Amino acid sequence: MLFNSLTFVVFFAVVVTAYWSVRSWNVRKNLLVVASYIFYGAWNPPFAALLFSTTAMDFWLGSRIARAKGRHSRRMWLVASVCMNLSMLGFFKYGNFLLQNFQWLLAHIGIIYQPPHLDILLPVGISFYTFHSLSYTLDIYRGVLRPTKSLRDFILAVSFFPQLVAGPIVRAGDFLPQLVTPPGLRMGQFLWGLLLMTLGLFEKIVLADTMLSGSADRVFSYAGPLVAPDSWLGVMAFAGQIFFDFAGYSICAIGAALCLGFHLKDNFRFPYAAIGFSDFWRRWHISLSTFLRDYLYIPLGGNQVRPVRAAINLVIVMFLGGLWHGAAWTFVVWGLLHGSYLVIERVIRVFFEDAPWAKNFATKFLAGLATYTAVCIAWVFFRASDFTIATRMLRSMFGGHAHGDAILSGREMLQIGIVTACMILVHCSLRESNIETAVTRLPPWVVTAAWALMACAIILTQGNSNAFIYFQF
Amino acid sequence: MPSSTSNFKRKLRLPRLFFAKPSEIVPRDYERPIPQVPWRGMTVVVVLVVIAAASAWEFYCRSIGYGPTLNDNEDLWTSTRRCVKPESIVIVGDSRGWYDVDLDELQKGLGKRPVQLAMGGGCAYPVLADLANDESFHGTIICSVVPRLFVAPPGTPPMERAEKAVHRYRTQTPAQRASQYLAMPLEEHVAFLKQEELALDDLLKRLPIPNRPYAQVPPRLPPYFGTIDRERRARMIEECARPGSELARTIQQIWIPLFTPPPPPTYIPKEEFGKKMGQAIEQRFHDVAELVQKVRARGGKIIFVRFPHSGGLKDLEDRTTPRAGIWARVIKDTAAPGIYYEDFPELSGFNCPEWSHLSAGDSVEFSKRLVPHLRRALQM
Repeated sequence: MLFNSLTFVVFFAVVVTAYWSVRSWNVRKNLLVVASYIFYGAWNPPFAALLFSTTAMDFWLGSRIARAKGRHSRRMWLVASVCMNLSMLGFFKYGNFLLQNFQWLLAHIGIIYQPPHLDILLPVGISFYTFHSLSYTLDIYRGVLRPTKSLRDFILAVSFFPQLVAGPIVRAGDFLPQLVTPPGLRMGQFLWGLLLMTLGLFEKIVLADTMLSGSADRVFSYAGPLVAPDSWLGVMAFAGQIFFDFAGYSICAIGAALCLGFHLKDNFRFPYAAIGFSDFWRRWHISLSTFLRDYLYIPLGGNQVRPVRAAINLVIVMFLGGLWHGAAWTFVVWGLLHGSYLVIERVIRVFFEDAPWAKNFATKFLAGLATYTAVCIAWVFFRASDFTIATRMLRSMFGGHAHGDAILSGREMLQIGIVTACMILVHCSLRESNIETAVTRLPPWVVTAAWALMACAIILTQGNSNAFIYFQF
Repeated sequence: MPSSTSNFKRKLRLPRLFFAKPSEIVPRDYERPIPQVPWRGMTVVVVLVVIAAASAWEFYCRSIGYGPTLNDNEDLWTSTRRCVKPESIVIVGDSRGWYDVDLDELQKGLGKRPVQLAMGGGCAYPVLADLANDESFHGTIICSVVPRLFVAPPGTPPMERAEKAVHRYRTQTPAQRASQYLAMPLEEHVAFLKQEELALDDLLKRLPIPNRPYAQVPPRLPPYFGTIDRERRARMIEECARPGSELARTIQQIWIPLFTPPPPPTYIPKEEFGKKMGQAIEQRFHDVAELVQKVRARGGKIIFVRFPHSGGLKDLEDRTTPRAGIWARVIKDTAAPGIYYEDFPELSGFNCPEWSHLSAGDSVEFSKRLVPHLRRALQM
């Protein structure tokens, strides 16, 4: 079920009404479990069974880790949980990719092998709920979480419908405590949730799908060379599209959770105002970057190792982060590019961080511009379906096709320019703040007008919209 | 060793485990800040403004000639595709087979109510393939042929449109199905709910913003000129059917660039492109012939129909895709019966107000006159 669908509007209205009408906390939680499974099953009912089995296994393994006496046996149960989750993810998401690469490798040593094509349907949101569930056993192993005795509560923590299919990746340790005591219905919180849902849908339906996606799709699917302005604008359109698409979903999820009395953390914090790549990753898909930091980067040694080893760790983490996004080498290159950016930034910091000019406005502005440009270049690999398209795009962007074609209309160019400029302006002005502070500071009539305008624009698009990009991950 | 009794106890414990109260979670303090603003007042104003704006927009759209109608999207197509029974009569192809056929008249004449699967700007091939590969189907296919659309190569909008519809039919989720059921009553009552005409994206396209002189921008699509019901029966609106109306004249001028063959892409040599296109068209003839054989092998029937067109569009089509070309080849390769409207005086006297489709009234009369030809060709 998509947030931007009529089915969801009706579903959400029914769930919220029923949820706040019931007094018993247990009944409310049961209602949310049922609603979450209906929400998920509305895509493909059999996959709800897969979701349940992953959850139930991790619940059981979590209790085994907690009960295990020795360090060795604790580790064994954790390995079982990690293997179970990653093998599920590996089979559904990377099965064909692995087979294709295995075939390619064999072909290079002269063995002709034709693997069967596995007609695997990717369960929607598997990358997200696998991480929701895995965080539980990992946190129990790390000793920062005690296992819950209620399977129902754990099922709800993993499958809570606002964050189930496209994040934020809510750790069980952040969600389970909220299931201890029932939240009360607070009007301000509920209406703020609705406003956030409106904002999220506006970002997705109006900005991502209506203003930007058409141009990005046309540029990336064009089979010939393009002139530099069109290719740059196409990449900028995609940079805006993926932000509004994903951040829009996250804001919707946070808003929907608030309407039900739950608090989810921010997943985006104005990333295109980032100065440097470590700053970018503190602002972009925060739930994934902190997950990778806590469960991968730090266990690998983090910063507490020699600089070369720390750089390798960074690249490993970003490589896996890239692979998490999709079973294709283009995603790997995207991850590796970001890994290299992070390493280069560290080297630069070592030499110039204390220089007086490093802190002035002009330097920061140029660093911010360089960050945005480098992030856009990396997006080429993220969006292109293969390396031929990616290299053609990069050549076009850097003037390699002086006699390329111009395919964007004046209107599309204007739309991309205005939306991108406004997006960067908003990100820069709220860089050190947050949306709650901004709303509190603005005069109420401005907030009301913006809210009404966003709602009208959503109605005007008539739900003529696509699925969220991150569903495919 | 656990006894059967202990297993039984374990089974009994499962529901208790499921509903047990959590007791060992360490509460963590995380609460999102809630802006302190006058929420109730703001919400009331927003609701009132949105209702007022939507009502005003609805009133305005009706005042300039728009009426409520369903959106012809993949979900509506899918719900119609689901109505196809093994022995159904199915209409496939482009918008002429969609606008020019009256289902009531065909039902009267052929004894069965046809299922309307033709679509505006769509290529018949993906739908033909879908029906031919449906092992249970052994009914009758009436296929409308507009040559340029019929041989549209893969990756072009006519093919993509039809492929998207067939793909949705195969993969539609329960949520998408539910959304369609919820949307239909709304679309039948609200005039501004027109996804390809009054959505924000389409409104932005109408802004008079100049293009770069050398930019390759896709041609404009025609504005709203028809209504669609739950059976996907399309009817031209009165405003367009009125002879010499502004709307009809506007649409006439839009058909010309849409039906004019586009220049070959700059990045492929002209000869190579021509060769590739020729190969793609040959492949299409071959594939269609195979599909027709498949349908026939199961006892199904198929007939190709060329529906009326007029004015400058007819001149253009006759020049760029003459009858002796694609039409003749399809009939020859498939050995299927064909009805070319110009061959029959009773079918050729119709005038298309916007050059491509019949008016709602004429479509009824045309269908009535078409029935005897269909019966004869299909040996019914």
